[in-house]
Order: sequence, then C-alpha cells, then structure tokens
Amino acid sequence: MSTTNPQSEATHDEGGSPAGDPARRARARRMSKHRRRLANVAGLMTALVLTGALYSVFAPAQAADDTTESAAEAAGRDLYERSCITCHGNNLEGVPNRGPSLIGVGEAAVYFQVHTGRMPLTRQEADASDKPPVFSDEEIDQLMAYVQANGGGPTLPSGDLRDGDLAQGGELFRLNCASCHNFVGEGGALSSGKAAPSLQNANDLDIYTAMLTGPENMPVFGDNQLTPEEKRSIINYVQTMKEMPDPGGAGIGRIGPVGEGLVIWLVGIGALLFSIFWMGSKA
Amino acid sequence: MARTATAPGAPTTKLGKTAYELDDRLILSPWLRRTMNKVYPDHWSFLLGEIALYSFLILLLSGTYLTFFFDASMREVVYGGSYAPLRGVEMSAAYDSALTLSFDVRGGLFMRQLHHWAALLFVAAIVVHLLRIFFTGAFRRPRETNWIIGVVMMVLALLMGVTGYSLPDDLLSGTGLRIISAILLSVPVIGTWAHFAVFNGDYVGEQIIGRFYIAHVLLIPAILLALIGLHLLILVKQKHTQFPGAGRTEHNVVGTRLFPTFAAKATGLIFVVFGICALLGGLVQINPIWLWGPYNPAQVSAASQPDWYIGFLDGSTRLFPPWDINFPGDYTIPALFWPTVVVAGAMFTVLGLYPMIERKLTGDTAKHHLLQRPRDVPVRTALGAMGLTFYLMLMLSGGNDVIADKFDISLNAMTWVGRIGVIILPPIAYAVTYRICLGLQMHDREVLEHGIETGVIRRLPTGEFIEVHQPLGPVDAHGHGQLSYGGAPVPKRMNQVGGARRAIRGFFRPIEEPVDVELEQQRESRGVAAAESERELTPSGRPADGGRPQEPRH
Amino acid sequence: MSVRETRPGSTGGADVPDPLYGGPDDDYTPEQLAAMRRDELDRLGARYDGVEIVHVEPGPEPGSSLEKRAVRQVGLAFTLAGVFAFLFVVVYVGSGWFLPDWHWLITEKGWSALFTPLLGLFMGLSLGLLGIGLVLFTKKLLPHETAVQDKHDGSHFDRVTAGAQLVETFHNSGLARRKVITRSLLFLGGGVGLMLIMPLGGLIKNPNKGNPLGTTPWADGVRLVRNDGTPIRPGDQEPGSLETVFPAVPAGNSVHHADAATMLIRLRPEQLAADRPRTGQEDFGYGDYVAYSKICTHAGCPVSLYEQETSRILCPCHQSQFDVTQGAKPVFGPATRALPQLPIGVDDEGFFVARSDYIEAVGPTYWNRERI
Repeated sequence: MSTTNPQSEATHDEGGSPAGDPARRARARRMSKHRRRLANVAGLMTALVLTGALYSVFAPAQAADDTTESAAEAAGRDLYERSCITCHGNNLEGVPNRGPSLIGVGEAAVYFQVHTGRMPLTRQEADASDKPPVFSDEEIDQLMAYVQANGGGPTLPSGDLRDGDLAQGGELFRLNCASCHNFVGEGGALSSGKAAPSLQNANDLDIYTAMLTGPENMPVFGDNQLTPEEKRSIINYVQTMKEMPDPGGAGIGRIGPVGEGLVIWLVGIGALLFSIFWMGSKA
Repeated sequence: MARTATAPGAPTTKLGKTAYELDDRLILSPWLRRTMNKVYPDHWSFLLGEIALYSFLILLLSGTYLTFFFDASMREVVYGGSYAPLRGVEMSAAYDSALTLSFDVRGGLFMRQLHHWAALLFVAAIVVHLLRIFFTGAFRRPRETNWIIGVVMMVLALLMGVTGYSLPDDLLSGTGLRIISAILLSVPVIGTWAHFAVFNGDYVGEQIIGRFYIAHVLLIPAILLALIGLHLLILVKQKHTQFPGAGRTEHNVVGTRLFPTFAAKATGLIFVVFGICALLGGLVQINPIWLWGPYNPAQVSAASQPDWYIGFLDGSTRLFPPWDINFPGDYTIPALFWPTVVVAGAMFTVLGLYPMIERKLTGDTAKHHLLQRPRDVPVRTALGAMGLTFYLMLMLSGGNDVIADKFDISLNAMTWVGRIGVIILPPIAYAVTYRICLGLQMHDREVLEHGIETGVIRRLPTGEFIEVHQPLGPVDAHGHGQLSYGGAPVPKRMNQVGGARRAIRGFFRPIEEPVDVELEQQRESRGVAAAESERELTPSGRPADGGRPQEPRH
Repeated sequence: MSVRETRPGSTGGADVPDPLYGGPDDDYTPEQLAAMRRDELDRLGARYDGVEIVHVEPGPEPGSSLEKRAVRQVGLAFTLAGVFAFLFVVVYVGSGWFLPDWHWLITEKGWSALFTPLLGLFMGLSLGLLGIGLVLFTKKLLPHETAVQDKHDGSHFDRVTAGAQLVETFHNSGLARRKVITRSLLFLGGGVGLMLIMPLGGLIKNPNKGNPLGTTPWADGVRLVRNDGTPIRPGDQEPGSLETVFPAVPAGNSVHHADAATMLIRLRPEQLAADRPRTGQEDFGYGDYVAYSKICTHAGCPVSLYEQETSRILCPCHQSQFDVTQGAKPVFGPATRALPQLPIGVDDEGFFVARSDYIEAVGPTYWNRERI
C-alpha cells in the first residue's frame, strides 16, 4: 500500500532532515528500511485478511462440500439408515434386485411411498401393497427433506389440490386412469399378480404425488403431460366421486354387472325360490 | 240362448243377467267352463316358468314407460342437465336422454332400475326353468317342440338383454359394442360384409343405436310374444307333466283346478315377482351410467363385464388361446371366431337338439307325461351337471379380473386356472354326479326292500345288535319287501309314514296346536268311542274330573 | 216349432229360440238342472270336462278361531299393501311439494338420495303383500280340492277324417297331374320369395371398396394431438409415461374415428436398451418415443393399461398383454397380432407428426385383413 518505492526512500528523505554524521545517517537509514519492511508486511497481511473476510462474506455457500445439514435432513438420514438403507443403499444409489436408486426421485415420491405405507416394504412381491404408514407425518417430512437434499426431484405441490374443473377431471380420469383404476377408482388387476390399487383410502396429496412420480408400474404423468391444473381437476373428480352417495339405492361396490349378477341370483332367485316353496306343494 | 231366459233357475241378479247377455252374443260358457276346469299339478318347481313369464310382463310395462323418454339417436350433444360431473361433456343424444331420465324425471331412475333388474331376473328364471325341464325329462315326446321354442326364446332373451343394455351408449356397454363389432368381423368369408350391413359401414357409424332400439322394442318382443303364446298354447293343449305318485298315471293329471285355486296362486305370484323387482329396483343400484361416463372408443375401465347372462361368452373369449388359422392366399380365420360364434352356436344347437339326441341314444320313442326324478336318469343328470360345470367355469372366467383383484390372485394364473379347469372339471363333475345318482337309486331300492331305518337298536338274545327296520309293505318269507320302485319319492324317515304322529300342518306356524294333534292320536290308538272323546281332558291327557265314576256312559 | 214369419223382406222371427245345442243339453233338462245344488252342478260340469274331484278338504270352520286368525292375516296383508301403496303415492307426488325435493344433486345425502329407495321399498312391499295376501287366502281359506283330469290321445276319427278331406281336396284339384301349374308355382315361389327380401339389399355395403377397415385418418404430416387438441413436443412427457394421442383432423378424437386413438409412449433408458422392434419398423419411433395403436388386435377395446416397469400393455377386456419393447407383440392372452406401430417424427416447429398411416389394418383381425 506504500506508494513510495522503498528502494528510493533515500532520495525522498533528503529535504528537511538534519545533516547528521554518516553513522547516524546509516543507522537511520537501516531503521527506516526495517520499519518500511514491517509496514509493508503488515499492510500485506491486512490486505490478505481483509480479502479473505470479504470473500467469505460474499461468496456463495458450497452445498456439496458443505458439511452442515438442516435438522430435518439429519433426522431423515437417521431414519433412512435405520429403515431404508438395506434396500436403497448407503448413498441412495439402490441395491441390485432389492431396491431402486432414490437419486432424483424427489420428496413427492417419498411422500407417496411412505405415507401410503408401501415403504418400508415387508417383502418382495409382485407389487408393494399399501398398509398403515409406519412413520409419522413429522418423520415423513424428515425423510422427504433427506431424499430431496440428496438428488433433488419432483417436489410437493401447494394450495388447494381440488381446485379444478369437475367435468374436465372426469374426462381426463376416464381417458388416463380408469383403465387401471376402474371407472370410480375401485382398482383393478394388472398382469401377473400386480394390481392398480383402489383409490378409496387415498388423500389428495397421495393422488397428486402418484401421478407426478409414477410409482412402480404406474406411468409417470409429468407436469407437461398433465398440467398441475389438470391434476387438480382429476383429484377433484376422484374425491367427489368417493364422497358422492348412490341415488339408486345400495351401491353394491359400484363394480357393475358382476355384483348385479350375484345379487339377482342370491337375493332375487333366492327370494323367489322361497316363495314358490311356500306356494306350491312338495312331490 | 233364449231358453235360459225363460227356464227355471234363470238369472235374477244384475250380474247374472249381464253374464247371460254376454254369453248370448259370444257363447263363451263352454270355453270358460272347460278352461276353468283344467287341472294343473301343484309342485313348486312348476312355477318357475311363470316367474319368467311375469318378469317379461314387467319388462313390457316398464319398457313402454322408458320409450316415452329415451332418444335412440347417436347425434352428438353437450350435456347441460343436473348431474354436475358431466356438465359440458360431449355425448350422444341417447346417453343424454338416459341421464335426463335418471336425474330430471320424477321416478325415472326407479323405472330404469326396475326394468334392468326385471331383465336380469327374466333370464335367470328362464335358466332355472330350463334346468328343471332338463333334469326331470319334461322335454321328451310329445314336448320336443316346446323345448325348442323355449331354447329359441332363451336366445332371444339374451339378444333382448344385449340390445337393451347397449341403448344408453355408456362406456361400459359401448366397450361391449366394440366387441360385438369384432365378433362380426371375425366370421370367415362374410364377416366384413355382415359387419358393414349391421353397422352400416365401419365401426361405430351412426345407425347402430337406432337399429338396436328397433330390434329391442319391436322386432324381438314381437317374436317373443308370438313364441310365448305358442309355448303356453302347446302346454295347455298337451297338459302339464307331473311327478309320479299316488293316483298319477300317464293318462291323467292330478292337481288343482285352474279356478279358483291355481288362478289365485298364479296371481299371487305375479304380485310377488313384481314386488321383488320393485324392491330391487329401488333399494339396490344397478347400471349407474353416470359413473361409467359416455362412450368413447379410446376409453375403457378395468373390470368391464357384460350383464351376467353374457358372462359365459366373455369368459370363453378370455380363455381361448391365441390360435389364428392362416390360409394360403393371406386369408385368416381370427382366433376370436371360435370362443364366440362357434362356442355359443354349438352350445345352443346341442341344447336345442338335445331331445332328439337323447331319443337317438336311448332309443326311447314313447310318449311321456310323467316326469323322472333326476337320480333315475343318471346319464342325463350327469351330462347336465357336466354342461352346467362347463358353463359356470366360463361364467366365472368372465369375471376373472374382478376375482383376481378382490382375492389377490395373479390375473395370469386365473387365466390358466380357467383354461385348465374348463377341460378337466366337467368330466370330474360327470363322474361324481353319476356315482351320486347311482347311490341314491340304490338307497331307494334298499329302503323298499328292507324298510325304513328307525334308529331303534335292539339286542338279540344271541348277543348281536341290530337296527329295527320298518317295512313299507308286505314282506316275504325272508323279510324282504315286495314293493317295486314306482318313480315316486320313497319315504326315508318314520315321520314320513306317520310314525311319529299325524303331521302338523302349517308352513311358518302350525295351524293346529301340537298338543291337540297328539291327543287325537292317542284317542285313535285307544279306540275310544266318539262320545267318550268329548270328555274334558287336561292338557296332559288325563280326565279333568280325576277319573271319578261318571253317570252311566251313553 | 214356432211361428214363422212369412212376410217377404221381414227380419225373421222375433226372438225365436235356436235349436237346442245338443250333447249335455239332451241329457239334462233345465228343470233337472234347476233342482241340483250348486256344488253338484259344479261337479257335473267338471265331469263333462273329464275332471273328477277326488277329495275336498274344506276350509276352516266358519266362526272358528282358526278361521278368524286366517281372515285377520289376509286382511292385515291386504290392508298393509294398501297402506304402502298410498305411501308410494304420497312420496311420489309430495316430493318437492310438502316433502323435500326429489331432484338429486351429487352432494345431497338426504331425502333426494332416498327418493328412489323409498319408491322401490313402498311399491315392493305393497305388491309383495298383495301377492302374499292372495296366497294366504288360497292356502288358508279356500277349500283344498284334489282333482284328476283325463288325458286323451288324439282321436283316430278326427285324424282319419281330416286327412281324408285334405287328400280328397288335393285330388279334386287335379294339381297332382297338372304339372304345369305346380312347376310354375314353384318357379314363382322362388321369384316372389326373393323379391320380398330384396329390399334388405339396401343394408349391404361393400367393405372392400376403398379399404375403410384398413385406413385411419393418420397420414404423413398429421400432427399428434392430445384429447384437448394441443400438439405435443418431445420434451412434454417423462420417461415411463403414456399419453393417448389423436390425429389433428376434425373430430379426430370422437367416435367418428374410432380406430385413430394411438398410445405415445416414452421409454425409460432401461426399456430403450432392451428395445427389439419389429423387422422393418426399427425407425418408426423417434428417440425414446414409440407410438402404437391403442385399439387391441383381439376384440377392439382400447389397450391402455401400461405397466412401465414390466413394459407390458394389458388390455382390460380379455387380458391380452403386449410387450412394448418387442414391437408390442402379444406375450399372453388371446390376442394373436402385435399392435400396429405408427411411424412418427417431428415437424419443423418441433411437434410430433405421423410420417404415414399405419402400415397394417388397425383393430381386430378379419378374414382378408392381410390382403388389403
């Protein structure tokens, strides 16, 4: 930071100083040199420290190398290492023939699988069946945070998930969903022991995340294929259908001719056979 | 005739005079008396055909109501009615009118459901009736014509059902319509021509719902009505069959006269059938077309089935392996042809010709007016069980995806179970049924020969235990009965021969007091004179006056 | 036997009785019949119809407790039937008037949702009780009679005389020897029969003209659009997804083009690596996208159920399964032919287009499918 050339300080120092003896003059010259060197070093050090401090204040945080995690992620990692690591690997990379990689599946997939109880898987079978969730809502949030932080992926939607057009939802449902899940979401069989589950126990977010992430054999419905508005209209339709009463009497499962055939034989023919036993005579 | 007006005993009441005036002009009384005097046997299984007849009547009445509201047009409209989830959706006018009937017509949904339940009951009753006729041999000479008419009516009933449930043009029945199109196409040589004739071109066209409509409300009902009339006329002319029993021969009919007993019971049955259809029509939802949505050839639902009576064809189509037959010259017989056209055609043809087949195989060309108990014809009964097993296997396979889903079974496994089951189960059913019939026959003859097992054990002086048997008739020197089997049920329990006491009458509750019946029997067994039986008795049967000496008995 | 009107043009005798009917009227004079009791007359008539009343079990004693109980039961059944019938009328007429409205909206769980069940309940109970009452009356209050009716074989006399009349008439007509008449009758029979059914020829249409069964609206340059008409870019779908697409022609997604629906599938990397397309169709896809006809080659249902992990497309109607990594060939179930593949590309605006129509007929197989 010194503007003067230390080498040329001898010439600059000429004006105004008493002419001493050569020894004193040499000593003064030597002391100025030290002082100047010290000052320069001090100046350099100051500059370096200042630069470093400014840099650490303004530079962006390095996530990958960042060793600090949020509390949720840490808790999620704990849960993961207890319940998921056997099949999904130490670094979420998956284990062959056991579990797929979770890198990039996103918190939406975690929500769906864990909230419907499919994960943790009880055993390897045709498809994971839904069961009461093992983890609490808070734990699910922690797992979501952990997986999202380690690979990213689809995130949860926000707002009212039923905010969509009912009729459009019905049309979209019949075109995209009914072939596996049935007209009213009763579910249906897939090949070789798999099944598309009934939507009876699914909440809005379960349905949304399922569409978004395409769990197991379900196809993926990305947001460019089914926009968030279209997804909401489908959810509106499904949930409305579930809550809708049957105006024609007992719904008998809403599965159509199979149930109706059972009823006509068991109830209809049964009652009539009883009546004609009463009316007629025995041999 | 004028004679009656002046003869002694001439009608004096208003009603009588009116009746006389009518008969003077039309001379109805011979026909009326003859008809009223006709005797009909009373067995409960003879009422099954009536259930079918009365359901048909209900279908005619409710169906006429529906035609006032239904629009059999495939014109595209946009729904604007009161069912919100379909508002703004494009659909055919037929579907729109069915929705309007369900939601915007007072009682419309009830009438639609009543009609559909009655239709399911109609076919079910026909099947049960057919089974009764088959297993009792009522189709034998001289009734083969009536049997063929019956089978034809059953096929027509199936066609009525298919054309009927396809009319609302909803997604479920529309899927079925597509399959009908494929079945037509699959017929060799003429398939594409047949399809283009029926649909007026390629699938779907704009005519098919209208054509189904006219077939459903005019063409087939007209043929059905004519056949029903013929069926009943032949029945009345030939007189109803009856089971063998006391006083029954091949040359008489034992039962009740048409008027009043039979007519009253038949009328009662009309209302009971109507009542059950109405109960179902209101209390149990059927064919909720608003849940299925309008037909769109790019949409389908899991668990799509036709109505139960077409289920066997759905099953055969699911099970039949992928076997196309390719001819040189690039012609093909599609695999779909066999499980639909051929299986259905073969089943109904064999069924219709069965009386002739059986006549040929048994050599029995005699006239029969007495029925047979199924056990007495083990081959026919076993064949019937075999056919029924085959049919049931196909019908269950028609719902194999529902079964797979509800019971957590692999769908592919269900297909294989069906394929294998439909081959191996019928012969097993034949063998089992045959043995059961023989066993029952042997037991009948054993009881005739050795008497009824009373359950009373006696020890003989020589130390052995025997069961006491009650002979049914005179026995020969060896103690064996000499009655031969007559085709009627053989009593197997002591109370069927009056061993316990005289039977107490009443279906739900006894008409008589059980105690009274017992007392009467005790009196009879003691040979007590009529006058004495008027003595006051306590409920336990002892004289109320304590048995003290009475005035000299009269 | 009486005054005969002789004036010409008169209308005949006033109320001159016809001759007697004959038969039983010869056996019984009106005086005799008037002297018989009603039940005797009944049995007499029955006997004439070949019916013998063998046994009559009378109804319950008039005035006995048994009779009173039966009468009460029947009366109760009929009364209840009437009550329920009136309740039906009240519910039917009154809903929307003095009862809550019957119009059902999908959120209603109350009266309007119960309207149909109530109608069914009341009508069912009413008619059912009516029927039960009738049967109760028959079983408990009417006398039970056992009757026997004779069956008669056909009368030999009738057969012989009817047959003789037929044959005699035929003989008298001389048709047997007038062969010109019979032969011309046969000839005209064929012609008239044919003529009468000819108008049905209006139903016949030629299915081979223009090959309608083998063509769809897809053609070179026709865009793939969604159900709402929007075109599709290759970035729109995720790997492992299926979208139903239609040709961008008028009414392309309606019933008028029932064979046009197509499945646009984006394969996952693992599927793409295992992809073995049909010979000659290796370039029908675009990148990791493939397009197959949605119309099942078995019976025409939309195939639809895409299992992205097993690469199977399952048809819900009869459970045919097609492997999407093997050119959509059937691997299970009754289907025999692979799903036709639509050759796709991308136009210069970046939207998916078809490069031609399907190269084979879409949908179920038929006799001459291969020839066209």
